[in-house]
Amino acid sequence: MDLAIGTSLDRIIIIGYFALVMGFGAYFGRYSKTTTDYFFGGRRFAWWLIAISIVATGVGSHSFLKYSTKAYQYGLSSTMTYMNDWFFVPLFMFGWLPIIYYMRIRSIPEYFERRFSANARYLATFMTLIFMIGYIAIQFLTLATALYRIFGIPLMMTVVIIAIATTIYMHFGGQTSVIFTDLIQGFILIFAGLLLFYLGIQFLGVNTPFSGLQAFWMNLSPEQKLPLAHFNKPPDFNFVGIFWQDGIAGSVGFLFLNQGLIMRFMAARSVNDGRKAVAFNALVILPISAIVVSNAGWIGRAIANAVPGTLPVDMASNDVFVAVTNVISSPGVFGFIIAALCAALMSTSDTLVNASSAIIVNDIYKPLSKKKRSDKEQLEFARWTSLGVKVIAVIMVPFFNTFDSIYEANGWFHSTFTPPLAVGVFLGIFWKRFTTAGIIATFVGGAFLMVLGQFYPQLISPFAHGIELRPDRGYSYIGALYNIIVCAGVGIIVSLFTKPESDKKLKGLTIFDAAKLKGIYKGSAPNEAIGEKIIVDWKTNKDDQDGIRFSKNDMDRMKANPGDLVYIQDARWWLGGLKSAHSIFALPHNEDGVVYLNSSELDHGQFLSGMQIKAEKEM
Amino acid sequence: MDRVWLPFIYLYGVGGIIFTVGLILILRTKALRPSYERHRKWLWVLFYGFFFWAGLHATFIFLALGSR
Repeated sequence: MDLAIGTSLDRIIIIGYFALVMGFGAYFGRYSKTTTDYFFGGRRFAWWLIAISIVATGVGSHSFLKYSTKAYQYGLSSTMTYMNDWFFVPLFMFGWLPIIYYMRIRSIPEYFERRFSANARYLATFMTLIFMIGYIAIQFLTLATALYRIFGIPLMMTVVIIAIATTIYMHFGGQTSVIFTDLIQGFILIFAGLLLFYLGIQFLGVNTPFSGLQAFWMNLSPEQKLPLAHFNKPPDFNFVGIFWQDGIAGSVGFLFLNQGLIMRFMAARSVNDGRKAVAFNALVILPISAIVVSNAGWIGRAIANAVPGTLPVDMASNDVFVAVTNVISSPGVFGFIIAALCAALMSTSDTLVNASSAIIVNDIYKPLSKKKRSDKEQLEFARWTSLGVKVIAVIMVPFFNTFDSIYEANGWFHSTFTPPLAVGVFLGIFWKRFTTAGIIATFVGGAFLMVLGQFYPQLISPFAHGIELRPDRGYSYIGALYNIIVCAGVGIIVSLFTKPESDKKLKGLTIFDAAKLKGIYKGSAPNEAIGEKIIVDWKTNKDDQDGIRFSKNDMDRMKANPGDLVYIQDARWWLGGLKSAHSIFALPHNEDGVVYLNSSELDHGQFLSGMQIKAEKEM
Repeated sequence: MDRVWLPFIYLYGVGGIIFTVGLILILRTKALRPSYERHRKWLWVLFYGFFFWAGLHATFIFLALGSR
């Protein structure tokens, strides 16, 4: 079917948008001084900056196409997957987040080595990399599917062009550039999604007897207004299957295994800021995101109900988003909304590429390097691995293109690769008795039983909650419950018959040490007294000793002692920590309202002469 | 429209068990200490989030039933 070719104005807007985003990313790349900065942004950013930068990652471009399809077919229940993450939030906020932050866990595989063994790390590295590179391939396929009709370029050629474009700014950037490009794209995405909703309601208002939100609401059937799907049918969209695939396996995968998300939280200036970002994301951003990614489908369904014949009857499932956008928006606006789709793709793929590169450098290159590499060599290697990851992803695209739809490709992919890692990391954190033999059994034995379930879906039937087994197609979602049970079952049984790990080895790596984490991070007992935040002028320290020096009175106001940790940032709040540094309190002086900084803090924080600094004691 | 309540009961039944076990675990391990003022606020946020979502889902179910 030939649709939504777009106009020259649309093409100019899309290309201009790409150029703008690339320039923006390269500009912020100058804040990446070391591999720590490149991958983790240097633990400096405020919660609101982290939260908004997650928007574009959470609303990946495949979300627009995928959820518009389900919204068109089933109505408001397409939002289910955005509204079932809260159950695991307590364990994330007070279990996993403090562990990764205070124990400086840089990647999932690193956690597996410290908690279990080097072999567990290599298995986890292999599975994590396949998961992330496959995911990047799905992102590339999605955007190419949307764009190649507009530009009239073959699909695979479009994929290659997209990969090259994202490489340019990623190559010169790093995590700081990812965070800031995602920040601007997050705003544009939400604006574009809500603009689409507004245009759709306007269109319905002109073409039906209703106006405003009523034009949308009254043109959906009562069943299409329900927020949850039917309990166990149809096989391709039912509540209980999607609950286990997305609400359980997907939520654990997103909160505990998403390397891109871990790196965002490692870029937060404190654990408390990380918690604020999670809460804001789950309570404010996710509901808005659900509307943003689904509304094209809802509007399309209302149009199909109220104005039959406007949309093609034989529309392919992946074409809903582009077809509806084309009907309700004018030239130029169509280009802008498709450009926002580009933004979402670039955000998700650059986060995943950066995360894959971090794993290759930290989990393969560093451990296997014969000699110690300089930071500059590692940074160069990191940038080239980003390129390699993209090449492999492009090669994988034709495989994912063999599925009936992007929704199915994504569903198959998630239910196959999430459960072993999710079970491994979850039992590792919350069950001290989980052993190295147990995790190896989870990865190897669990994976074997999962493959068996793929070939003999009758094995999954006892867990299917009455969902129909389709001949030759198996189960779409409820397989996740079977996969979780076999992976956890094998791991638990083997653990119970093998020797437990020593308490010394587990120190700081399970929730049972949560109360000791601050002390482990600081290297001495934490100073929990709550002090003030103060604003001071700064001067350069001539003797360049370790730490930074405040006056005795200022330290008293902050309730700080020499040796405590301090966080300093440019006093302008809207910078969100971009110009900031962590250090320790050195011995005090007597000049109130002035802090003496040494050259490393000045270099890291890039503080401007004449601008005041806000300081606070950490923890 | 028979479709309506079982998904809601299942979601907040199974989800509620996970949420409650998680809360008990972080309280027993002292990862969350209600004696700290800041942690006490987080405990309220965690409860608020759970009932916010349950309330939102229930509201839309009643709105859909009301439009029959």
